[in-house]
Amino acid sequence: MVKIKKRKLKEAEIPTGSMADIAFLMLLFFLVSTVIDVDTGIGLTLPEYIPPQEQEYVPLSKDRLAAILINENGDVLLNGDVIAIPQIKDNLKERIEEKINLPSNKKLVVSVKTDRKTNYNLFIQALDQIKGAYFEVREAYSQTKFGKKTLDLNEEETNEVREKIPITISIAEPENVKK
Amino acid sequence: MKFEKRRAKSQEGIPTASLPDIVFMLLLFFMVSTTLREVDVLVQYSLPQAAAIEKIENKRLVSYIWVGRDERIQLNDSIIELEDIQDLMYRKRVELPNVIVSLRIDKNSDMGIVTDIQQELRKADARRINYSTLLKP
Repeated sequence: MVKIKKRKLKEAEIPTGSMADIAFLMLLFFLVSTVIDVDTGIGLTLPEYIPPQEQEYVPLSKDRLAAILINENGDVLLNGDVIAIPQIKDNLKERIEEKINLPSNKKLVVSVKTDRKTNYNLFIQALDQIKGAYFEVREAYSQTKFGKKTLDLNEEETNEVREKIPITISIAEPENVKK
Repeated sequence: MKFEKRRAKSQEGIPTASLPDIVFMLLLFFMVSTTLREVDVLVQYSLPQAAAIEKIENKRLVSYIWVGRDERIQLNDSIIELEDIQDLMYRKRVELPNVIVSLRIDKNSDMGIVTDIQQELRKADARRINYSTLLKP
């Protein structure tokens, strides 16, 4: 009798040679379709809403207040003096620095008030100047006190800087004007 | 005397067996870190520029309000009226208590509409806002 040889089965295998190519293709798709738009902007916390009839007038001493007014023509008033927007930063920096060692209820309050017709871009430029002034004072403070940049401070030190130089920007309550 | 060229005994070639694994790992990283843009912006706007800006650290907290050149307001994925902001933002705030509202307002808008939106947001108690700007070069 002829012996029938059992045919040996080849081991089943999935070809993996092109796996890397497929994965690369998918990777490329995700790389291309990803939008990494980092959201940047000027952060602010609005005050709580209080109905007009319950609003109280809290007097604020003059040396604490830096009132910025921007009218519809783009003229800027800082505490009654006409200045240009790029001057805001240096003006405020001095005043913030003066108040570093004062208690928290004596720190500077920057109030920004605009007209309904004021250009939004101007408002942002002014806000940018104010923020810039605060950031520069914070930077200088952390350099002299800790010898580090504000970004390299640890949590405790950051809190101290924040406490010494709090950013208080008040967006003034809009006045009732006819629309 | 004849010198024989010395040859390395080991095989040449980079082992590519683990290449797919590495690539898949990269792929996975990108898939996880990607936040796909889920809304279509229906208004036209160009952002103002500023220098002293911050990054928003946590993107999942952000909810957007767009204001276009034609003063149309878009919240999340639809055009809305000014009066609707309060209601919609209040609902948003209930599910996400520390929501940050990113205001993407066209730079040629008037402050009037900005103030109105801010008042609505204050009524809805969504008070953390961010004026979206580009970095001034």
